[in-house]
Amino acid sequence: MEQLKEKIDSLLMRVSKPTRYIGGELNSVEKNLENVYIRFAFAFPDVYEVGMSHLGMKILYSLLNEEDDIYCERVFAPWIDMENLMRENKIPLFSLETKTPLDKFDFVGFTLQYEMSYTNLLNMLNLGNIPILSKDRKEGPFIIAGGPCAYNPAPLSEVVDIFVMGEGEEVILEIMEVYRKWKNISGKRDEFLKLISKIEGVFIPAFYEEIYNSDGTIAEIKPLKEDISPRVKKRIIKDFETIFYPEKQIVPFMDIVHDRIMLEVFRGCTRGCRFCQAGMIYRPVREKSVEKLLELADKLIKSTGYEELSLTSLSTCDYSQIEDLVKKLIEKYHDEGVGVAIPSTRIDAFSVNLLNEIQKVRKTGLTLAPEAGSQRLRDIINKGVTEEDLMVSTEEAFKAGWNTIKLYFMIGLPGETFEDVEGISDLVHKVISIYKKVRGNLKDLKITVSTSIFVPKPFTPFQWVGQEDVNTIIEKQDLLKKNLRGKNIRYSWHDHRTSFLEAVVSKGDRKVGRAIIKAWEKGCKFDGWDEYLKYDKWLEAFEEEGIDPHFYANRERNYDEIFPWDVVDVGVNKKYLLRELNKSKELKTTNDCRVFCTGCGIKEFDEEVKCFETH
Amino acid sequence: MKRIRNKFKKEENVRFISHLDVMRLFERAFRRADIKIAFSKGFNPHPKISFGNALMVGATTDGDYFDVEVCEDILPKDFKNKINNVLPKGIIILESFEVANEDILSSRIVAADYLIKFSTFENIHDIYDTYKKFIEQPSIEIEKDTKKGKKVIDIKAYIIETKLLFYDGKMGEIYVKLKLGEGTPTPLHLLKAFNDFLDGLINLENYKLKREKIILDTDMR
Repeated sequence: MEQLKEKIDSLLMRVSKPTRYIGGELNSVEKNLENVYIRFAFAFPDVYEVGMSHLGMKILYSLLNEEDDIYCERVFAPWIDMENLMRENKIPLFSLETKTPLDKFDFVGFTLQYEMSYTNLLNMLNLGNIPILSKDRKEGPFIIAGGPCAYNPAPLSEVVDIFVMGEGEEVILEIMEVYRKWKNISGKRDEFLKLISKIEGVFIPAFYEEIYNSDGTIAEIKPLKEDISPRVKKRIIKDFETIFYPEKQIVPFMDIVHDRIMLEVFRGCTRGCRFCQAGMIYRPVREKSVEKLLELADKLIKSTGYEELSLTSLSTCDYSQIEDLVKKLIEKYHDEGVGVAIPSTRIDAFSVNLLNEIQKVRKTGLTLAPEAGSQRLRDIINKGVTEEDLMVSTEEAFKAGWNTIKLYFMIGLPGETFEDVEGISDLVHKVISIYKKVRGNLKDLKITVSTSIFVPKPFTPFQWVGQEDVNTIIEKQDLLKKNLRGKNIRYSWHDHRTSFLEAVVSKGDRKVGRAIIKAWEKGCKFDGWDEYLKYDKWLEAFEEEGIDPHFYANRERNYDEIFPWDVVDVGVNKKYLLRELNKSKELKTTNDCRVFCTGCGIKEFDEEVKCFETH
Repeated sequence: MKRIRNKFKKEENVRFISHLDVMRLFERAFRRADIKIAFSKGFNPHPKISFGNALMVGATTDGDYFDVEVCEDILPKDFKNKINNVLPKGIIILESFEVANEDILSSRIVAADYLIKFSTFENIHDIYDTYKKFIEQPSIEIEKDTKKGKKVIDIKAYIIETKLLFYDGKMGEIYVKLKLGEGTPTPLHLLKAFNDFLDGLINLENYKLKREKIILDTDMR
């Protein structure tokens, strides 16, 4: 180990951002390896500064390390310069804490946050001397994966040994407990998998087979063993108030993407935007009490010394006690110079006033996401926001002194016409006029307009919808490029190639999985980083695997089609999703479920779980 | 308000963290230690800390400095202990002492002592003489990256004292005392120039740089 450490050290003078690879940060965990029985590598399939910004990693890292005989360490994808040097010098992928090669762990756990990081996952296994295919691994670590993308386990089914569906902090220790016993008796790999397949939320892909119809759609996802459940239910944290939450978070030396304390206020979202996967899969909504949050905030500020605390949730302003919480946090920490940040903001005057309050400590940017350019389209996607809301809130913001504003939209939404796209630029110009009305001139105004491309996702009402064809997307982007000129506006758009691949993979089956491996073999990695995307290699990979990517990305599905992800039960049922899809076609909106229950199925899913629980 | 001057050490394990990282790290350490420090006014308040000349990424130090304005009545030795208790491994405050409010750190800094360990591709038999000859040149021009692009400067103008301390046929070590000020070159520039003088016999991918200490004019009195 010491030797490897020295070898790594000798490379660091030659790479960009060497701090990515050193470990030893404040609150990172050190353990005596002699007392450790289970070694767990928490692997994030992207670079350090991205992975370290991820809340799930912070939670599971701390939770696992609470156990005396478990040591959880961190592993990230090395940047390309470092990877080249590692390969050249035969240095295997290593953990930050003890510089242990990846194949020496009991578990390698990946969090799947983004489909375009799958090639990085494969690359990390390979760099760690671990065979890519599950069936080729006779010894060495089990590969376990969770996170939002795991809900469609199909594409990585031949790679990952164990998928965890749902909230990992509820399940992971149960898996570790079985592992302790299994390791004690030195059982067979298959036996361990069989044992944990009985744990709710655990999905073992090797125990299932995809059977296809002649048209390439799925006929059946067939359990290969007798006592295997045909469907796996996701796990839900029963008591969100008391569930483990890290009171210490690692403070990186280098600047990372989200360099602040993350305090999770609630989980889930009640808004029901029809494109949003997170809004569906994280149900039900569960909040922590203000008292609990204040207690956690205090411990976290003391243990990290961070200058900023972020209230992290899908739509933080929806927290039932948000004003009270923000007021108390500011009162308490203002003098210490600790600011509060709210990452996602609703578009209403209330939220803007709240941000005003926050600004007293530290100036934050203002980001609003109307998502679509017309009321008709916003109704289709059930984004409960009106043009009036946007106008009022931007006026308030400009009056309060903001000069910089970011507006997020999506293009390629179901039913979107060119008029709707014109609507985006019209809205932007209206916001500019408001600024002029409030301030008298446009001198300091900076508007950043950003459009992403709609990717239909599993477990959303739009899972049946096909992605819009690339040529139309490009035309729409060109239209906006033309309409969004001017010295106050900066327009940025997503790469249509990335969004197309994301659509293929997110709704992909096991056949797509083989193409991902092919693409990686051809050198694909860091596909989410535009400058490294090798699109032609992906197309070659599809072709060689006999796959038509449009079949996955652009095809509209029949209502009775069996999806690769139907093997997972996320609680929100197909009936509800279909009802929402049909309502969208009739331009009908659905209320926020804080008003009254919209019957998504989560209540019937688990009787013990109370929906929208406040304390 | 009290101005406390601190001498600190940065060890091997944190030699890759940048100057900016170190500044941020102390800021957060004050908060963990619950020591009230002064903040600038404005939209993005910054703690009133000032550091001496930036240390190169990859280098260690046994004596860098920073000043901080503290809003409470605390003895420098208590300040030191409290901060040392909350610092990550590898960063240690060695000395803390109070200075007058108008005593500005940057105007006190005059020079720094450095040690550079290097390795060579082959045994250089007459390296001590060669180093002497190298240093005794009327000028040693080096190319330095500045904000305005590359600039050629004479590093000799900055060298107060230098010596090749030892060489065993593979590894060697150079001591150099450099004037510190606006646009000071780094010891690495010196090593590179020596390498050019030796026609590339030094392995520039394998060296270790240590700042032994920054020298303040108060040290010289």
